[in-house]
Amino acid sequence: MSGLNADSNANQSDICLELKDVVKQFPGVTAVDHISLEIEEGEIFSFLGPSGCGKSTLLRIVAGLENQDQGDVLIGGKLVNDLPPYKRDCSTVFQSHALFPHMTVFDNIGFGLVERKIPKPEIKQRVQNKINLVNLGGMEDRFPHQLSGGQMQRVALARSLVLEPTVLLLDEPLAALDRKLRKEMQVELKRIQREVGTTFLNVTHDQKEALSLSDRIAVMKKGKLLQIGTPDEIYETPHTRFVASFMGASNIFSGRVVGARDGMLTFKSDVGLQVALPESNDIPADQITGFSVHPELIDLSPEGADTPAACSATDVSLPGTIKEVFYLGDFSEMSVKIDDADINLTVYMTRGWSGPKMKMAEGQRVVALWSAASMNLLVD
Amino acid sequence: MKKKRIASKILWVLSILTLIFLWSPMILVIVYSFSNNKYGSSWEGFTLKWYAKLISNDQVRDALMRSLIVAGVTVVVSTLIGTITAYGLYKLDFKGKQFLRTSILLPIVFPSVVTGSALLVFFTRLVHIPLGYPSIIIAHIVFCSPLAVFIILGRMQRFDWSWEEAALDLGATPARTFLRVTGPQLLPAIMASAMLIFPWSFDDFVITYFVAGVGSTTLPIYVFSQLRFGSTPVINTIGTLFVTTTMLGLFLVHLIQRMHTGNHTRKGTN
Repeated sequence: MSGLNADSNANQSDICLELKDVVKQFPGVTAVDHISLEIEEGEIFSFLGPSGCGKSTLLRIVAGLENQDQGDVLIGGKLVNDLPPYKRDCSTVFQSHALFPHMTVFDNIGFGLVERKIPKPEIKQRVQNKINLVNLGGMEDRFPHQLSGGQMQRVALARSLVLEPTVLLLDEPLAALDRKLRKEMQVELKRIQREVGTTFLNVTHDQKEALSLSDRIAVMKKGKLLQIGTPDEIYETPHTRFVASFMGASNIFSGRVVGARDGMLTFKSDVGLQVALPESNDIPADQITGFSVHPELIDLSPEGADTPAACSATDVSLPGTIKEVFYLGDFSEMSVKIDDADINLTVYMTRGWSGPKMKMAEGQRVVALWSAASMNLLVD
Repeated sequence: MKKKRIASKILWVLSILTLIFLWSPMILVIVYSFSNNKYGSSWEGFTLKWYAKLISNDQVRDALMRSLIVAGVTVVVSTLIGTITAYGLYKLDFKGKQFLRTSILLPIVFPSVVTGSALLVFFTRLVHIPLGYPSIIIAHIVFCSPLAVFIILGRMQRFDWSWEEAALDLGATPARTFLRVTGPQLLPAIMASAMLIFPWSFDDFVITYFVAGVGSTTLPIYVFSQLRFGSTPVINTIGTLFVTTTMLGLFLVHLIQRMHTGNHTRKGTN
């Protein structure tokens, strides 16, 4: 045990949280299924997944509020498996805020410092410092029930940050707020994190929030880690069908590679579509089971119009008919039925679209077009 | 429409009659305790002499002191036991928990005569607890603690337990967490149960009568013994005392609960 500790101290000084093969079973389900990962100092890392995927359980294991059945948790290079929550160098911002209703804002924020027996003048100074950081000046003597949702959120944040934890754990911190406030707090969270430099470990089911807030994202499903990467990696090159669809790539094609020609792979989809996929260094051809295309990467032009200049031999172009149009203001979502195949493409069209100025309506004959580079390979 | 109005009128009249039926004996007792009539059964002008007599009566003062001491000790011990038991019943998982939880109801639903005689046999034949203060106080704790358990358990079920997790997470040990967060949150429920237990213990007659033994006369037992000599105005003053203490307790409970729900509604509107 001590050898392991020394080892991780020596080699990974900038790793502030490490999970090694963590498993947690609840009766009937495996909430966390052999998860290992490393979180670097100073980053905002998000666990992203649908509800019940085990992301909150994982966070509670890090906090010590739940005990793993197997595996190690290291905070700041120190093994904390057997430490109770009050001895771990991390702090949690709860979804319900969990402010103490009988204490003022000041006493709430100072709670942990009192427990650490910090002298009173220092408590006062550190609490005031954090009150300023989260823009709550003048609210010191209010009680939680006198605060709005956003203000309670800020108190909860300050209450944890004042302890200067190695890792700050955020359990769906924005889920309880309304949409406008959520956006505002998202910006605030990022500003505060950049200012204090503390590592944030965030849990969310909202892919937009994860994309805009995080430095890195881990997508989870049924207790398993599916993919870890930066927001653009996760969004643009999801490896699995689940990650692709969870991140909004609604056009997913199943099939297999049947041949190769000129550095391109010939892919035959289950519904009869044949396209040329660019080869990938990461994924062997025989493991490819499909590809996905984001709806905003597909262009529509009216049938019979001149082929756009950018069109090259490897681009995919398919004739079809517009089935449905959902007007959403900033863009329109179209459903296009491809001829002679059981494919309904989802296409986003912005109003600034550069093609022929014409109204796309239901029943319109079109050609759907996307470049070879916009296709992302899937392995399962 | 008209039918409805008649129905509501009838209901109104019935409610008033019920209230009169319930309240008139108590109001009469209070009124006659200030009456000059020497049997305390009709109005013959205002006087405080029965209260003076009450205060100068050594037996009454003795019984009152005894009742207050018993009720005081019972309140403190019962709420303590109630808090610990409720906490254990809510937080711990053990075999037979549901059975224990139900069986705690027994002292409340058992007829007082049964509880009283069972306790008397228990004290005299089995454990040899001297009759008097010890037996009375133990008996009162037996039938009062369940009340505290149920009031405090009820509060715990509406408790946001993430407060407790937050306190642990912020570095408070379980003991400190109870002291600084859980305890203060339970205080309204603990106070409410104390306010209800006090009158329960203070005016219990049946169970106390069984276990009091010779010479340990509480106020209700004294009242009962005096009735053998017919109603006297002093009894009326004691009755007034009972009614006002109980009412005061209920009023305080109401006040505590109002303060509490007040907090919650304000939180809701914000």
